[in-house]
Amino acid sequence: MSETAKPAPPRPAFDQQSQSFFAEDGASRTAQVQALRLLHYRPWRGECRPAFYSVWPVARVSLRMMFRRKLFWGLYALALIIFLMFFFGQYLLAWAESQSASATVNVGLVRTNPSKLIRLLRDALKLNGSADTYRNFFRWQGSMVMIVLALAGALIVGNDFRHRSLPFYLSKPIRRWHYVAGKCLAVAVFVNLMTTLPALVLFVQYGLLDDWGYFVGDGTAISLGFVRLVLPINSLCLGIVGYGVLLTVCLSLFLVATASWLRRTVPLIMAWTTLFFFLRMVARALVDGLHYDPRWRLLDLWNCLSLLGNRLLGIPAAQIRPQPQPEIWEAAATLAALCVVCLLYLNHRIRGVEVVH
Amino acid sequence: MQSALQQRQAPDQPVIGSTPVLLFHQVSKWYGPVIGLNQVTLELRPGIMGLVGPNGAGKSTLMKLATGQLKPDIGSVQVHGINAWSADSRRFVGYCPDVDAFFEEMSGREFVTAMARLCGFRRSEAEERAQAVLQRVGMADRADRRIGGYSKGMRQRIKLAQALVHDPELFILDEPLSGIDPIGRQEMIALLHSLARQGKTLLVSSHELDALEKLTDHVAVMTHGRIAAVGTLSKIRAMLDDRPLSILIATSQPRRLAQALLSMSNVVGIEFIRDDSLIVRAIQAHRFFSKLNTLVLEEDFDIWHLETIDGSAQAILGYVLGKK
Repeated sequence: MSETAKPAPPRPAFDQQSQSFFAEDGASRTAQVQALRLLHYRPWRGECRPAFYSVWPVARVSLRMMFRRKLFWGLYALALIIFLMFFFGQYLLAWAESQSASATVNVGLVRTNPSKLIRLLRDALKLNGSADTYRNFFRWQGSMVMIVLALAGALIVGNDFRHRSLPFYLSKPIRRWHYVAGKCLAVAVFVNLMTTLPALVLFVQYGLLDDWGYFVGDGTAISLGFVRLVLPINSLCLGIVGYGVLLTVCLSLFLVATASWLRRTVPLIMAWTTLFFFLRMVARALVDGLHYDPRWRLLDLWNCLSLLGNRLLGIPAAQIRPQPQPEIWEAAATLAALCVVCLLYLNHRIRGVEVVH
Repeated sequence: MQSALQQRQAPDQPVIGSTPVLLFHQVSKWYGPVIGLNQVTLELRPGIMGLVGPNGAGKSTLMKLATGQLKPDIGSVQVHGINAWSADSRRFVGYCPDVDAFFEEMSGREFVTAMARLCGFRRSEAEERAQAVLQRVGMADRADRRIGGYSKGMRQRIKLAQALVHDPELFILDEPLSGIDPIGRQEMIALLHSLARQGKTLLVSSHELDALEKLTDHVAVMTHGRIAAVGTLSKIRAMLDDRPLSILIATSQPRRLAQALLSMSNVVGIEFIRDDSLIVRAIQAHRFFSKLNTLVLEEDFDIWHLETIDGSAQAILGYVLGKK
């Protein structure tokens, strides 16, 4: 079996007149000359957009790199399976309920309507469009998000420091905070694509399957001093958005800060495992095992996020498991303090580009 | 008239008298207790200037200060009169860092387009500019491949493309010629010359002095955080009075020539290397060459080869840095 060598692409020639490189074939040469004219014979008369607009290109670069890693595709598929499980679970139960509305079945000696059984099943599985549905969904999707972010942190932030490619960004007319904002935006887009957006899809789906009144619910009351506004929207919907915002802000700051500190994938995974898994175990051992003060649960950052998220979804504190839990404001203060620490570190870190490697 | 002539003869050399594009004024920079740059004053005008010096001399610090990545502790760095630390100044600067691993998952075109968008161009304008600069650096036909699969030379071209994409006035190029094959290097040098001819200002750092010599005659030599010398290689060499210039002369009468040369006050030594060649060591090179000219004409010496053997960038750098 003989192998044929792939012909090398034609080497571009250097044109002395225009001081540029050209492919040898004449056809593309005209197009190339045209392209050159665009840059060199048509001076830029437009105004460049303010540096603020550079935040999105920074985020796009990160997202592009993230979505191109084939390693992550398995995790995205897993996240998709979780979403589809909720989506079709809700759909299937609603469909089965509607199909058996008038029928009756014997369960042992009891004759009953199957729709009642299905409703029981919906409630037991928490696929009933309640706050519990979205809580479970956020819990499952959140776990996937954490895994992907732990793996992707080095890719989207750490490599800029490790491979010293940060100067590509910083030598452009943007400020350092635009860079940080761009990276946080990339994480935010990813987190919301994985959690908030599918949760809202589930919300809309349930509303369509159940009743239009579901979208409005009891409305959302907002008190502004003496004024009390009632928005004609289900508070669950705002709760979902709120939970998404909470995850977005906290996770983006945590990730950008830890990834710019640790840079490599393995240390980053170890750090996130410590933060979100080992500290969780320690907190559980202290509070549930040794019956220490429930404030020790504040060590568990994921619990703090869940506590706040559940509150935003309208779940009463007494229904949050495991019990006892710290106060909501304590969890909020812990997360806020950590976010401030991350911001301070990032402020130091992006100035720390000056440090000689 | 004379300056116009000089400019035509060497259009890529820094032009004297124009407003400085980059200005360092008494700049010092510390890294904790270590001084990176020590009271550096430097002006850059349109043309190409080489930046040479050993590792740790402060070249990278100087480049980072010029591109606004570092803030000087003392003094000021200005690009077109704007503080280099401000984001606005970076519209005038194109930086090509000495980094090999970057954005491996992206294609060359995506990378250059993204960099153009960071400069504030809208998508369509950014794409047009990316295409134009990729053409210019000879990467248009390979721009859609992943950067991860690029050779070092291709990476250098892509880095140069991203520096060119917003058509800046000042280029800071860190080792732009390393890793490029000889033909590619010639092409790259031609490209940099063409930029200089367009009136751009280029500051090029390189350890490859031979390549740098082909690129420019104008260098700044750095050592221990200071600028040890700035100017053309010949001027710097001429200033090194304590280091006699070595000149190789091939003649049919080496002994007679040596005798005549020894009578000159500028000549401090002569060494015979072959039957027909000698190396003359002379101080005050200009005066020596003038006298040699007269001598050869008056005494009718038959000289068929005359070469300064330690006027190269390599030798001058060695002398300036006090190394052999």
